[in-house]
Amino acid sequence: MRVILRTKPRKKPFIPIEAETIIPQNFLRKNDVRVYEGNKERRLEEIFYITTEGPAVSPDQVEIVLSGETGNIKRVGEYMNAGRIVVEGDIGMHCGNFMSAGEIVIKGNADAWLGREMRGGTIRCEGNAGHYCAAGYRGEKRGMRGGLVEVMGSAGDFTAEYLCGGEVRIHGDCGDLPGVEMRGGNLTIGGHCHRPCGNMTGGTCMVFGRVHDMLPTFRGAGNEEREYRGQRCQMMLYKGDAANRGKGSLLVKNIEQDGLSPKKK
Amino acid sequence: MKIDDVVCPFCGCLCDDLVVEVEGTRVVSVENGCTLANEKFMGDHRLKTPIHREGKGWKETTYDEAIRETAEILCDADRPLLYGWSGTHGEAQSIGIHLAEILGALVDNTSTVCHGPSILAIQEVGHPGCTLGQVKNRADVVIYWGTNPIDAHPRHMSRYTTFADGFFLKEAFRDRKLIVVDVRKSESANIADEFVRIQPGGDYAVLSALRAIVQGKRGIIPPSVAGVSREQLFRVADLLLSAKFGAIFFGLGLTMSRGKSKNIRNAIELTEELNRHTKFIISPMRGHWNVYGSNEVFTWITGYPYAVDFARGIAFYNPGETTSVDVLSRKECDACLVVASDPGAHFPKACAEHLARIPTVQIDPHVNATTHLSRIQIPVAVTGIDAEGTAYRMDGVPIRTRMLFRGTYPSDTAVLEQLYAIVKEIKGP
Repeated sequence: MRVILRTKPRKKPFIPIEAETIIPQNFLRKNDVRVYEGNKERRLEEIFYITTEGPAVSPDQVEIVLSGETGNIKRVGEYMNAGRIVVEGDIGMHCGNFMSAGEIVIKGNADAWLGREMRGGTIRCEGNAGHYCAAGYRGEKRGMRGGLVEVMGSAGDFTAEYLCGGEVRIHGDCGDLPGVEMRGGNLTIGGHCHRPCGNMTGGTCMVFGRVHDMLPTFRGAGNEEREYRGQRCQMMLYKGDAANRGKGSLLVKNIEQDGLSPKKK
Repeated sequence: MKIDDVVCPFCGCLCDDLVVEVEGTRVVSVENGCTLANEKFMGDHRLKTPIHREGKGWKETTYDEAIRETAEILCDADRPLLYGWSGTHGEAQSIGIHLAEILGALVDNTSTVCHGPSILAIQEVGHPGCTLGQVKNRADVVIYWGTNPIDAHPRHMSRYTTFADGFFLKEAFRDRKLIVVDVRKSESANIADEFVRIQPGGDYAVLSALRAIVQGKRGIIPPSVAGVSREQLFRVADLLLSAKFGAIFFGLGLTMSRGKSKNIRNAIELTEELNRHTKFIISPMRGHWNVYGSNEVFTWITGYPYAVDFARGIAFYNPGETTSVDVLSRKECDACLVVASDPGAHFPKACAEHLARIPTVQIDPHVNATTHLSRIQIPVAVTGIDAEGTAYRMDGVPIRTRMLFRGTYPSDTAVLEQLYAIVKEIKGP
């Protein structure tokens, strides 16, 4: 089954839509799917033109395609456990929160908290991701625990904060403090970043670009060779963060102690 | 008439030893107050009656009309924002939150532009704190990090730290060691025993280094960390470790610089580390008078200290998403009620522009920058001068403020109660 949701023009387009109900399992039967526009509850038909093609007997066979002005739609794919969601443009905050299985493909940019506390499944963002990509919620001790988040562009500050498991790949640059409080899992950054892995206690982070302002509490532990996108790279291995238990691994290709603040994205 | 033990309604110190002389409905002199307190008591920029915008000008209106118009604006909105609250008393804040709940509004206080990141860090790792009385009587090492109390909290040093003799420190000025950490040499740094100048944005690295040193990992520290030499870091760490009782006070230099809540988390974890060796506490230098109280009242009622979104009937909290600056800069809200604060003066330009675009109503005694962005302004009594109520000091101690004279203005509580009743009537049961 393919469900195509195309946004209708809205009188107040800046008011976000909260749409955690947009997950494949809710479209298997003709459920009364509702979303919130500000403090007003709306039927899905009030916000989208809906087209349904073909049948499905399980959520795995459902694909949802979102198109139009989708950059302000939050929580799409929250608690998703099967099926596929394709976003033709940008997507709002909290896309794929807590998802445990299935696939989300975003062809534009994703706003903050992409894949927050995700347990499994795959999110692939072809544009850039906002702050707190694959991170935890406020006050939470564990962030993403499983699955894969892949961002082809860049990501904002605090990427993979509290990462506990699974894999995060950012092919572009990251902002400040990627992998902060990280305790497990793998974080790969293809581009540059600032101050990676502050207070990390476990897991592995690899930075194939340049690290600006490396934190002083990482201890050099030799060199290792790693592969990124088909190329073998000689990496410097650091163990840290020594301000904490210091059992994480940070592999870095280049370091620059320039003392400058990161550029605003 | 002279009134003793008056509580100052300006900053988070809530100094409660002021002597104020009143003649009729006017304050004529203030003793024991700092310059900021004097200006607050003696200043005279108060609006006489409610006003609302008509064309390009302002027209005077009545309280009843202004409050009804405000209620209608808020009820029509799909995403109203109720912002401010830190300059008023807890009783008014409480009504504001109930108002937000029935409106399905976002309600936020000024923590959003000051110590919000401190609260996020406290939610992650807790808060080893104490009252200012304990600091005054016990602390022999005091750090001011990213704050300049001589300018921002002028009596903090004389009432609680450097110049305040305590039960265990008979000659505080000589017995207490003072460390100031900042990016520039401030007035407070001039009187410090140790001034640590950090490169802008380098606080996180310096805090991490100090944590490692306190843990005994001195060998890992490079010759310089964010512009601070290894030798100075060792010296500061030794001072901290030698304290019988230490206190760290931090300000917006730490909360609003690069790293934000993670800076505070690192500072709290340094405090925890120091507590393995001696007694240490950490405390934020809250600026806006009853901002601590707004966090308390918000938390009692909603479970969250600021940036609470009632759009879906339940309280949701996510700073960065539900904070006023973010909501306004993304042009999300379509009406705003500002109570006891001045976002027009403190928010980024994009937020002020949006406030001017949407119907904004201000409940505030004074004409200020937000007045120029508003459609309606309702003047009220000033808590601590012509209204009474409860406020919280920066260390979480509640203090009852007094009404010094009975003026002609209604209190925030009276105006908000009337607004709440009208909104309830419009919304129905």
